[in-house]
Amino acid sequence: MPRMPPSSSRDNLSTREGLVASLPLVPSVFVYGTVFGGLAVQSGLRHAEIWGMSLLVFAGASQFVAVPMIAAGAPVLSVVVTTYVVNMRHYLMAATLAPSFRSFRRAWLVLIAHVINDESFAVAAARSSPPHPGVYIGSALAISAAFVGGVVVGTLLGGLVRDPERYGLDFAFPAVFLSLAAVQLRRRSDWLVAIGAAVLALALALAVPGNWHIVIAGLVASAAGALLLPVDPA
Amino acid sequence: MRGHVWLTIVGMAVATYLTRAPLFLALARRPLPPRVRLWLRLVPIAVLPALAIPMVLVRDGRLAVGLGQPALWGAVVVLLLAAWRVNLFVSVAAAVGVVALLRAVG
Repeated sequence: MPRMPPSSSRDNLSTREGLVASLPLVPSVFVYGTVFGGLAVQSGLRHAEIWGMSLLVFAGASQFVAVPMIAAGAPVLSVVVTTYVVNMRHYLMAATLAPSFRSFRRAWLVLIAHVINDESFAVAAARSSPPHPGVYIGSALAISAAFVGGVVVGTLLGGLVRDPERYGLDFAFPAVFLSLAAVQLRRRSDWLVAIGAAVLALALALAVPGNWHIVIAGLVASAAGALLLPVDPA
Repeated sequence: MRGHVWLTIVGMAVATYLTRAPLFLALARRPLPPRVRLWLRLVPIAVLPALAIPMVLVRDGRLAVGLGQPALWGAVVVLLLAAWRVNLFVSVAAAVGVVALLRAVG
């Protein structure tokens, strides 16, 4: 293990704790990666591109979003901006995690920032407040290995299906997005935001060519919700 | 090597790192204001349906809503299962199965 202040033996212990606490999530993250890898192959991306994306971007939801756009020949800028908006939620996690990592060297922070992910954040935040850095790192190790491992297996299996539309596999993309959205709906007003965004996106998609309806509807509906709805109890 | 795909991937990587690193490296002492936190929480709740619903309901630039549309039933299935907290893989697999079945009989 790399040396990390303040006490390395205690940190090793908490790293292991984070790793173990994340094991129940490993199968589903692995399968999520496998589905992504398989669908990306089906969409015409090459193995190196899929692996490169998974290592360099390392943000599942946005990768699912990007693949059908890339496959449809969307302009680079629209894919990049959409990715940014889908991943804006990282600001929330980064701000919450940051104070716990004050004693770390900057070189480590540059690296650790890259593996900020929903699952590890949930694991670390559920165990203590503020989240423990060791627990977070242990979880990020488990989750990133599971995701990338799943992607590799998925790309190798994905070429086996010859006629994806026949098996409804093209529908897996919207199905993943709807499923990811539905599990985040906590308050009744969240539904309002989701439905408002869907209706606005539908209207824009019919009126405006290209993929900008996603970003516009997403930002407008979420901003309207944030301005008009009561703030979350902390 | 397909230049535009790699350009897209590198652009995505930079855009994503910009959502992770700045506040993390700034070691923010104060939590984000509540309305900003609410907004950041709502962004994916808005973006994901904004992405999915037109994929489900628009075919060739036109609205395709009807009981004969397999995608509509797939969406209903995945939303119900996800709302019941069925895990992502199972709900997506069930929805994909329903769409495949309806396409086969339709």
